[in-house]
Amino acid sequence: MLGAHCPVRTRAPEHLQFGPAPQPGHPAPAMTAHSFALPVIIFTTFWGLIGIAGPWFVPKGPNRGVTITMLVATAVCCYLFWLITILAQLNPLFGPQLKNETIWYVRFLWE
Amino acid sequence: MGSMFRSEEVALVQLFLPTSAAYTCVSQLGELGLVEFRDLNASVSAFQRRFVGDVRRCEELEKTFTFLQEEVRRAGLALHPPEGRLLAPPPRDLLRIQEETDRLARELRDVRGNQQSLRAQLHQLQLHSAVLGRGHRLPLAATPTDGLLERTPLLQPPGGPHQDLRVNFVAGAVEPAKAAALERLLWRACRGFLIASFRETEQPLEDPVTGEPATWMTFLISYWGEQIGQKIRKITDCFHCHVFPFVEQEDGRLGTLQQLQQQSQELQEVLGETERFLSQVLGRVQRLLPPWRVQIHKMKAVYLVLNQCSVSATHKCLIAEGWCAASDLPALQQVLQDSSSEAGVSAVVHRIPCRDMPPTLIRTNRFTASFQGIVDAYGVGRYQEVNPAPYTIITFPFLFAVMFGDVGHGLLMFLFALAMVLAENRPAVKTAQNEIWRTFFGGRYLLLLMGLFSVYTGFIYNECFSRATTIFPSGWSVAAMATQSGWSDAFLAEHPLLTLDPAVSGVFLGPYPFGIDPVWSLAVNHLSFLNSFKMKMSVILGVTHMTFGVVLGVFNHVHFGQWHRLLLETLPELTFLLGLFGYLVFLVVYKWLFIAAAAPAPSILIHFINMFLFSRSPTNPLLFPGQEVVQSALVVVALAAVPVLLLGTPLFLRWQHRRRSPRPAGRQLDEDKSGILDSSDASVAGWGSDEEKAGCPGDQEEAEFVLSEVLMHQAIHTIEFCLGCISNTASYLRLWALSLAHAQLSEVLWAMVMREGLRMGRELGVAAVVLVPIFAAFAVLTVAILLVMEGLSAFLHALRLHWVEFQNKFYLGSGYKLSPFTFAEEED
Repeated sequence: MLGAHCPVRTRAPEHLQFGPAPQPGHPAPAMTAHSFALPVIIFTTFWGLIGIAGPWFVPKGPNRGVTITMLVATAVCCYLFWLITILAQLNPLFGPQLKNETIWYVRFLWE
Repeated sequence: MGSMFRSEEVALVQLFLPTSAAYTCVSQLGELGLVEFRDLNASVSAFQRRFVGDVRRCEELEKTFTFLQEEVRRAGLALHPPEGRLLAPPPRDLLRIQEETDRLARELRDVRGNQQSLRAQLHQLQLHSAVLGRGHRLPLAATPTDGLLERTPLLQPPGGPHQDLRVNFVAGAVEPAKAAALERLLWRACRGFLIASFRETEQPLEDPVTGEPATWMTFLISYWGEQIGQKIRKITDCFHCHVFPFVEQEDGRLGTLQQLQQQSQELQEVLGETERFLSQVLGRVQRLLPPWRVQIHKMKAVYLVLNQCSVSATHKCLIAEGWCAASDLPALQQVLQDSSSEAGVSAVVHRIPCRDMPPTLIRTNRFTASFQGIVDAYGVGRYQEVNPAPYTIITFPFLFAVMFGDVGHGLLMFLFALAMVLAENRPAVKTAQNEIWRTFFGGRYLLLLMGLFSVYTGFIYNECFSRATTIFPSGWSVAAMATQSGWSDAFLAEHPLLTLDPAVSGVFLGPYPFGIDPVWSLAVNHLSFLNSFKMKMSVILGVTHMTFGVVLGVFNHVHFGQWHRLLLETLPELTFLLGLFGYLVFLVVYKWLFIAAAAPAPSILIHFINMFLFSRSPTNPLLFPGQEVVQSALVVVALAAVPVLLLGTPLFLRWQHRRRSPRPAGRQLDEDKSGILDSSDASVAGWGSDEEKAGCPGDQEEAEFVLSEVLMHQAIHTIEFCLGCISNTASYLRLWALSLAHAQLSEVLWAMVMREGLRMGRELGVAAVVLVPIFAAFAVLTVAILLVMEGLSAFLHALRLHWVEFQNKFYLGSGYKLSPFTFAEEED
């Protein structure tokens, strides 16, 4: 299906070759690994400050109850949503399926 | 000032108003808007009430006001709303206002009538002068001698008797639309015995009725023969032409013309005077009418309220009953004392016990009003039950945003709402009449929060106008996969699609710290991942939302002192919900945390199905050891909770009822038989104590307790809850469905519109020129389809999730609002 658009190439297009092509067997220059603990700590602290510490700072007035409810609800909803997203990506069971054009491009771009 | 969590305390009050001061008191109460009056004379028809005469007079006055208003409007003037606060006038002023109004109306009618007739006369004169003054080229001159030569008709008249060829004239004016038809008819009817000349008036004349300028066709018909003359007159009558006498001689006509000029001049002077007087009268009306309208409106309202009061036995005071917020009682006392200070006796108010359910009063400010509005649209809460609105302030925009998540679209919505909020105090904005605009304007705070949360969920979904952003570097390394799997250029050229394998070391470097990894937006199979993610997210959010709803019910039980319901209803409900669907959430999270890509992964769906069927699939590995035992135990416990939910409360209430009033068994049977007729009391028995708690000590509802009614209610509740758990959890999957639809629509719009523009040729200028209309199309479609249509759709579904899935766990919504007697709303 790609043949209609581009002729079969035996080499990557010239303008996409950035540096020396890595040898097979040698590990590529590693990208920064994402830790799991650090974002969890940061976001838990952030939403915890908003949801647990925030209510103490709401000034007294007729709207105090509603404001505290809003703070806590926001913290819970947003934290839960973020947590679900990161947990869903923690142990992926399959990976992305990419087109060869994308692989050619991204391989050298995202290093 | 109470909070929004439940209705304020509302008390039933009885007011004793001395007759002389009753009017003033009620009018003051209307200004403040504290009390909702109850109709004590409901059995009396409207025509027999005490103040019906005054109400009728007010209504007649209002009719005259309408007439005056219409006149003012016809003259093109505007009525300005009155300034300042006007109180209802005392009854003795009514007569004065009535007289003045009648006099004004009479004057206005007279002047109008005069003006009309003068105008009609002027019109006639003008027509006449137009007809005469026309330079109708007479085909035949006046003198007979010359005329004889020219008068020779082209056609010989048939027959002798028509030898007397004396020319007569008919002159007049006809409407231009009918002129052609008139001419044709004349020609056909009189067949050559006349010569008609039609000419249009030079200037348009003002029509006396409508006031619009209209041109007329003047005609001059010269004919000979008496019969022809009669025919012509009949025809012109049919056509409603104005016919004027036509003098043959030139100077005669000139003399008539001069006369006409003089007459019309005089008429115009008189007309001018009349119109000046008219505008004077209208000016007075303009000045006096608006405050009168307000005052009479208030007076009528006060009399309508006074009609609802009953007269005390001694006829010295009126007794009124109404609902009033308990916190407003001191203010009410103060107002009554101030108003009745002139009368000898002062008005008194005191609280009385109530048996009916009081109305609900929840005070809101302009921010919380829209959220309370969407809760009230489903149903106003029962007196003092938990109000879902304060939680809805956040959960509604959040659930909307889950279905709408896109940074770009959310930002646009937020900016639009922000513009409305910042401009909300401008008078032009406040008085706009367009309904659609008013709807959007009323929900500006709602839109603000919805936009804000949509930006957040857009960042998490990693979508900005369907494009992903790499704020952090992606957690998937394509290069590592390529080197590990030996993806040479040749290999890549042969395989159009290749999959990254997370089991290969170095390929998956860790979860993206904030949101969905951007590599998925490049992937062909991104829907496989996103669908799984969004479905599980929907179930987790749904179970959390529903559990929250059940927990809110706890507050209701505690407030109304129904402790047994905590044990016999909330506990089984939570057991059922969390034992089954909470376990499902646990399985989902467990699988996310502990199952890696190494071995064939267990399927949660199969496990969940087998849990209910008490079977197992050998090909489906367990998630954790002992899973089957745990599952069986949970199902048994959950199913055991159902009979507790079904029978617990009715049996407890029966035991309680028996304990409170021991009776012989015989009477019990009679009560059961007669209980079928008592429709609502049995249900009241279960909830009867909420009135006790509410400050209105009700009668002890001992006599009416029917076990069958209570059992039936409880059975309905149990079935609704248990089946609802399953269906409502599935219903939350609309969060997945709509967010998928939004993402796909957004993607398609980008791919079909913007990308086509961006991939235009590289020649200088081509892409730049083409992008302008393409971007315009993209912007219009984004706003129309993705913002308006998808926004409305997500709004609707979020609303449904709140109204049905969330609120049916704890909210009854069968109350009514406190609508106090006030003049403020009626002044629209």
